[in-house]
Order: sequence, then structure tokens, then C-alpha cells
Amino acid sequence: MVIEMLFRRIETVELRDVTKRYGDFTAVDHVNLEIIGGELLILIGPSGSGKTTLLRTINRLIEPDEGEVFINGRNIKEFDVVKLRRSIGYVIQQIGLFPHMTVKDNIGLLLKLEGWSEEEIDKRVKELLHLVALPEDFVTRYPHQLSGGQQQRVGLARALALNPPLLLMDEPFGALDPILRKQLQEEFLRIKEVLGRTIVFVTHDIEEAFKLGDRIAIMRDGRLVQVGYPDELVLNPADEFVAKLVNVDKKFKHLDTLKVKDLMVDVEKYIVEVQRKDELLQWMRDKNIEFAVIVEKGALKGVTDLKSLLKSQDLEEALMEPLVFSPGDSLASALAEMKRRNAFLGVVVEREKPVGILLANEVLLKLL
Amino acid sequence: MVGVERVLGAFGEHLVLTYASLFLSIAVGIPLAILSLKSKRLASFIMGFANLVQAIPSFAVVAIVVPLLGIGFTPAVFAIFLRALLPIVKNTYVGLSEVDEAMIDAARGIGLTEWEIIRYVRFPHAYPAMFAGIKFAAVLANSIAILTAIIGSGGLGSLVFEGLASFNTDKILAGSIPAILMAVFIDISFSYLEKRVTPEGIGGG
Ligand SMILES: Nc1ncnc2c1ncn2[C@@H]1O[C@H](COP(=O)(O)OP(=O)(O)OP(=O)(O)O)[C@@H](O)[C@H]1O
Ligand SMILES: [Mg+2]
Repeated sequence: MVIEMLFRRIETVELRDVTKRYGDFTAVDHVNLEIIGGELLILIGPSGSGKTTLLRTINRLIEPDEGEVFINGRNIKEFDVVKLRRSIGYVIQQIGLFPHMTVKDNIGLLLKLEGWSEEEIDKRVKELLHLVALPEDFVTRYPHQLSGGQQQRVGLARALALNPPLLLMDEPFGALDPILRKQLQEEFLRIKEVLGRTIVFVTHDIEEAFKLGDRIAIMRDGRLVQVGYPDELVLNPADEFVAKLVNVDKKFKHLDTLKVKDLMVDVEKYIVEVQRKDELLQWMRDKNIEFAVIVEKGALKGVTDLKSLLKSQDLEEALMEPLVFSPGDSLASALAEMKRRNAFLGVVVEREKPVGILLANEVLLKLL
Repeated sequence: MVGVERVLGAFGEHLVLTYASLFLSIAVGIPLAILSLKSKRLASFIMGFANLVQAIPSFAVVAIVVPLLGIGFTPAVFAIFLRALLPIVKNTYVGLSEVDEAMIDAARGIGLTEWEIIRYVRFPHAYPAMFAGIKFAAVLANSIAILTAIIGSGGLGSLVFEGLASFNTDKILAGSIPAILMAVFIDISFSYLEKRVTPEGIGGG
């Protein structure tokens, strides 16, 4: 059965100047934020900073006092509110599940309301249970017969039932104990890859943010302080508050003892010896990669990526000179250098031959 | 002695009278409770009116119906209906409105319409309170159906009043014992129904 969604895929979700007040108090203060289709955007900030309020303007559980929300360029006020919400999965921390319904009825409720037949619902529910790694015979259980982690999985399955292209998740793992939380995060990463949809994810756990997020939006007192990729936040925090939140010092405290070679990633599959642009293009397409390290007689000549290559006349023009480190360099100074030069990668070279790549993002994730 | 046929006939009338008024109260009471959810003003009006009716002694309610509707079966049904309405409206309304707001919010968030929220979330949670109200209303209806004999409704009440007027103990017992059995039956049957309908995972009972 096909469900009619308001949008099949998300190009963008745009919050323009969104403001929400409660009396004199401004819970969300002129927030401008663009969520890119396909990404997982983290909303993080202290308690009361307005994360939940902002999130709920996207499915119109909250109507902003000022500003507007656009999905794929269309003002969400144009949509029927029930249809909008059914096109957006919503997962919350607690009490999300209906205690008086079995797992099957919880997951299948929206399917039933959309007019699916019993068999179709049965099939879909089992599919979803499989996806969230729960046994099929859980269908007859009630929420109170499940552990916290299992309830959370059922909540996720329910949100995915209608296959919505956009998911809003408000501290979905917040109530779980730390070990279980780690485990669910890992599983969620796997599910996220399978689903490939756009997700806005609220958390107040910075580790969770770095682990799951593509980009991270930091809120404080109702305002958006900074939005960026993890490395941007660590390397260029907008202010003290962000620096403290991403906790650069702590993350880097064992940096002194580390060498570049400890955290560089393998470069082998990116190395190629070519002379012409079309040759390189063909090679990159064959290998399905977007980045290449060009060598001449084994020695590093330069790096390039698909985008620059397509824009350039010839190979020479597309070549860039990367930051170069040697395996024994201290990681701390390498990172400092990258930050200063605003580079997201460096090539590690030993006797002129590239032996690894240092990716700022990758390094930071490993250090966490 | 009172003839068995006479007792059975009276019992039959009593049953029809009790259940007809009870179902009328349910049929009117539940929609009124749902309507009360829509607006606070309407809710306080309906509750106020129902409370007022409740404050009037049963006997007076039965009497007041006469100048309005005359005597006989229909006015009797109306009198019982008025008395049975309040517990149903009030309990159902309380049950429906006391559902955890966070759960309603979750239901709204995943895209249920207001009606679907009432149907799939509020009602299942209101069952215990609603059934308590209906059970109470049924017991009330059963006892008022005896009283209404004085305005010509017939039924077991006629036996009781005739017995009282003529000091005929047999007649009194022939009228009141079935009524007592009825009360017990009502209690058991509604408790059973409630168990069947109320989903697992809902507290109370
Ligand atoms: N309905 C409301 N009425 C009044 N104030 C509200 C209401 N909802 C939220 N607020 C206030 O708005 C601010 C932002 O709330 P919000 O729930 O968005 O915070 P949050 O960032 O999600 O916090 P947490 O991490 O604790 O969930 C808080 O100070 C809160 O007290
Ligand atoms: Mg919150």
C-alpha cells in the first residue's frame, strides 16, 4: 500500500526568523536555520535553551509568534496539519507509547488510520520490528512489559511506520542508562544508514552529538549560537560557550602523547598516478571516490577532489597542494597547523611517498 | 399469594423501564461528555446542570415530571433518565479529561486528529471511570424504577406500593426481592463488561 506523503524526499527544511514567546519570556529567539536534505542535524544546548520548542515548530505542535518554517521551499502553514505530521516521524523521550495498546497496535495505529488491511499492517509491523532489532513475537506485548531500551525501539519503529522522509527526535535516548544508550546509538547509526533520511535530533549529550550528528546546531537562551560540522565547532568555536561545550581542552588532553601516525587513515585507495584530467575522472568514477592523491613516480604531486576537477580545464589547474606531515609529527601541532590554515585534511608523507591522510573530523571523533 | 405471572409481568416492565432509561442516559451522556471536552464553558454548564439535578431528591424529580409530561411509562423513563445522566456525564468527562497531557501531545505529534485522539487514546483511558459511572447510574435507575410506579410506570414498584397500601407482606416481597436481585445482577454484569472492554495496561478497575 502506498501512502500519500506531502513530500517524498526532503531538499531543505528552513527555519526563518522563528520566535516563540511565553508571556515576557522568549523561549526561541529569531532562529534562522537551514537543515539540508539527508543530513542528521543535532540540536544541542543546556536545559531550557529552547531545543524542544524549536523542534516542535517543525511539526506545528508549536506555532511560532514570528517567523516561518519552510519544507522544500513551501511554507508549512500551507499543508494540512495532520498530513504534515504524518509525513514527519516524531520520537520523544518518555510516555511516547500508548500504554493501552500492544506493540503491534502502537506501531500499526497510523497504518490502520491510513486504511491499511490487517495483513498489510502485520507485514509492515514485522518489517519494522526487524529493522529495530526486536523479535517478532513482541507484537502482542504491552509497553509495560518491555525494558526502557525496547520501548525506545518500538517508539522509533512507530515513527517509521509510514516511511516519513523527515524524522524529529527529542532526546530519544535521554532516559536510558549510559551503556544501553551507547548500544542504541550504535544501532541507530546502522538504521540511519539504511534509511538515509533527514533527521533533526535533540540531545544535551555532546558525545552523542559528535557520534550521531552530521552537523551540530548549538542553542543557548533561545538563540542559535553556532551551526557547523564537528571539526568546525572544535577548531573554530564561535565563543567561549561553544568552546566549553565541545570541551576542546579535555578532548585534547591526551593529544601530547599522540603522533600523527596514530590517527591517520589509510590512503592507499586514493593514490593514483595519472597525467590527464579525463584519465583521472574515469579512474575516480570506476573507484567511486571523490578525492584523489596524485603521485609521480610514487612521490606526492598534489591532491584534488571531484568538484574542483570538474570545474578545471586540466589536471594541473585542479591540483592542490595539501598540508604535509610526517608520521612522527606530534598530533597536537598538526591539528593546530590545520586549524590555522583552515584545512580539513593533511597528507602524511614518508620519504616523499604518501602513507596516510589526517582528517580533522575523523581525528576528533576518535579522540572522543 | 401473588401469582407468578403477575410477578414476571411486573419484572419484565421493570427491566424495560430500567434499561430503556439507562441506555438513553448513556446515549445522551457520553456525547455530552465528549462535547464538554471541546470547551471549558460548555463543560461547566453541563456539569452545573447535572449537579443541580443530582441535588434534587429522587422522589421530587419523579414528581416534577408529572406537570410537564403527565403520567405513565414515558414520563417515568424521562425521570429516571434525568437522574442517571449525571453520574455518566460526570464520570465520563473526568475520565476523558484526566488523560496524561504528555500522551495526548504524543498522539497529536504523530498525526492523530482530535477525534482519533478521543477515540483511540482518551476513551480507553476513560473506561474505568466511565464504567464506574454507568454502574452507579444503573443502580440508581433500578431503584428509581420502583419509585416511578406512583406515576403509573407499572413494574415491580406497583407490587411494592400495592403491598404497602394493603399491608400485604407477600406483595411487598414479590416486588422488592426481584429488584434486589436486579441490583446484584447489574453490578456483576457491568463489572464483567468493564473487564472485557478495558485494555490491559490501564490502571484502576
Ligand atoms: N508552555 C510553556 N509555557 C511557558 N514556558 C514554557 C513553555 N514551554 C516551554 N517553556 C519555557 O521555554 C524554555 C525553553 O523550553 P524547551 O522545552 O524548548 O527547552 P529545552 O532546550 O528543550 O530544554 P530541556 O533540555 O530541558 O528539554 C524553558 O525555559 C521553558 O521553561
Ligand atoms: Mg527539551
